[in-house]
Amino acid sequence: MMKISRQERMGLGLVAPSFFFLLVFFIIPAILLFVCSFWMAQAFRLIPAFTFDNYARALSNTGFYFLTWNALKNGLCTAVLTVVLSFPAAYFIVYRTRGNLLFYLILVSWFSSYLVRIYAWRVILGSNGLINTTLMQLGLIDQPLEMLLFSPFATIVTLTHIMLPFGLLLLVSALRDVKKEYVEAARDLGASQTEVLTRVILPMCYKGVVGAFMFTFVISAGDFVTPQLLGGRDGMTTGILIANQFRTAGNWPFGAAMAFLLLAAFLVVYLGFVRLLDLLRLAPGRRFHD
Amino acid sequence: MSTPNIVELYGVTKAFGALTVLHDIDLGIREGEILTLLGPSGCGKTTLMRIIAGFEATTHGRVTIKGSDVSYLPPDKRPVNMVFQRYALFPHLDVFDNVAFGLRLKKWPKERVREAVQHMLHLVQLDDYGSRWIHELSGGQAQRVALARALVNAPSVLLLDEPLAALDLKIRHHMLAELKRIHQETGTTFIYVTHDQDEATILSDRIVLMNKGCIEQIGTPEEMYAHPGSLFCARFLGETNILSGAVSATDSEATFVNVGPGTAKVPANGTAVLLGQSVSLAIRPEALQVARIGAGEAAPEGVNALEGVVDDVVFMGSRVVYSIRTPIETIKYQETRSLDGSMLARGERVRASWRPEAAVLLTR
Ligand SMILES: Nc1ncnc2c1ncn2[C@@H]1O[C@H](COP(=O)(O)OP(=O)(O)OP(=O)(O)O)[C@@H](O)[C@H]1O
Ligand SMILES: [Mg+2]
Repeated sequence: MMKISRQERMGLGLVAPSFFFLLVFFIIPAILLFVCSFWMAQAFRLIPAFTFDNYARALSNTGFYFLTWNALKNGLCTAVLTVVLSFPAAYFIVYRTRGNLLFYLILVSWFSSYLVRIYAWRVILGSNGLINTTLMQLGLIDQPLEMLLFSPFATIVTLTHIMLPFGLLLLVSALRDVKKEYVEAARDLGASQTEVLTRVILPMCYKGVVGAFMFTFVISAGDFVTPQLLGGRDGMTTGILIANQFRTAGNWPFGAAMAFLLLAAFLVVYLGFVRLLDLLRLAPGRRFHD
Repeated sequence: MSTPNIVELYGVTKAFGALTVLHDIDLGIREGEILTLLGPSGCGKTTLMRIIAGFEATTHGRVTIKGSDVSYLPPDKRPVNMVFQRYALFPHLDVFDNVAFGLRLKKWPKERVREAVQHMLHLVQLDDYGSRWIHELSGGQAQRVALARALVNAPSVLLLDEPLAALDLKIRHHMLAELKRIHQETGTTFIYVTHDQDEATILSDRIVLMNKGCIEQIGTPEEMYAHPGSLFCARFLGETNILSGAVSATDSEATFVNVGPGTAKVPANGTAVLLGQSVSLAIRPEALQVARIGAGEAAPEGVNALEGVVDDVVFMGSRVVYSIRTPIETIKYQETRSLDGSMLARGERVRASWRPEAAVLLTR
């Protein structure tokens, strides 16, 4: 008989609910969807089969590439901007402030809904919006800048605004692990402030940086509401294409195939990002000798 | 002084807001010595060390290292290295890379780095631990890595902030011996912070005793033990009996102090005292002589003696420590355990006396 120690039992007990949740609401649907991506659809009916047609159809469609490129571009720009903007803020909060007031103030922006913020940006970026009127009153432009709204720019600005608190939260908790002592030890051993950043702080909060980057990337690259409302005609992303297959076209297998292709693209980005950090020697590990 | 000072502090004062934690500290650290900053918690030892390392700026005063003023140099530009209390070894690097950290910043060529690191790991007896991760080390091993990581940079001064505080007693004694050996092999100047008087006496060439942000006394462990300059010092280093009383007579040879029913005579040691001034006498427990007073026998009056009753007997291995209740103070008496096992028992009446030279006259 296999014996399970008390501690193991407790561990299992703690993991079980979230595992069960994931199993029912993520793993099983994902497997079903994956299986479905090899089926066929005819007149709103699913026909079990094993065909790569859906994948081939997506990959031979230039529109799919264009929209996926848009999605990846939105995701990458948002992720880079979010990490780059929230890192200094997180650094300031962790090392330069005592309390958490500033942190909470930033998190308060979460309290407004996602859609409200999208519309707020519409107001700010619109032709009669804050930016255009200010620029015009300053005499810097004669005509409202049309490209502000309904452009990838608008999408990225809005997504960054939405993602910033997430990025900040992840980076702050990662930086909190890098105790001041490590920074001082590095300084003591002769590291300049930049060297402390690249040799100690970034490698030590590697997981937080990768986490913040990927989290913002996946959510904003997969988002199709913001691009739809702010991105303009050329700003659409794969997400809308996929959603249409499920909602209006009724071609689940094709939608599933595109979803998995997008997932594959995300994986490539993830591997690329991790590799990049590795090359920049910002990853932890045995890096220098042997 | 014969040996030149490698670090000098001139009037160093440090305030955090309204709280002044260091008051006008003047101190010279001699090349090659082990100097201990000793004092109770919160007296400013760490702050003083951090000022030398460059992590805190002075509010007033200057710091020089090897004759040049470093008051405004950041920590990475100072020729000192520090061993942190909780080691602060980088968890994302293995032992080798931790030790190599400073040398790589100096852009040493690979081969030299390897040689230097291996030499250091050998010195701290961790030859085969280069590829271990930090979390795979025991407390004592982590301590050695921290030491190697600092020493490999060949600092002019090595700063150690309570490096053994996190270790248990047995390893602590072993590490003290190791530290002494490493000090001898490298010849580096050590500034060592501790609040443990045993560590300080075992390790130091000189002790700087600190109290409330001021230097109370500086001296070798023997000097400090034999000639404490203040009550604080007498109490902080080792066990001591403090008898207080008023000066009854004084001349160029000796001072007489009323202690309880008797009188104590102390040879004059240059401390100026006034008639009637209240002073203290510090007498080490092992400097007493104690004799039984037979039943019915009258207690002999006399100089440098107190009569009392044995209150408590504590065995400390080879030593026995007695508490003796006297009319003024409960005093401690310590003797080496005699071979025939004859000991005083609780409740016995005794007479404790001491030679005049055994008492130290203290006015503060
Ligand atoms: N950054 C700081 N801000 C405000 N006060 C501080 C700061 N650092 C230290 N202090 C105060 O300075 C005093 C001396 O602190 P320090 O750490 O030097 O003591 P210590 O002698 O090292 O004590 P311990 O033996 O407990 O380590 C303490 O009262 C402490 O509260
Ligand atoms: Mg301290």
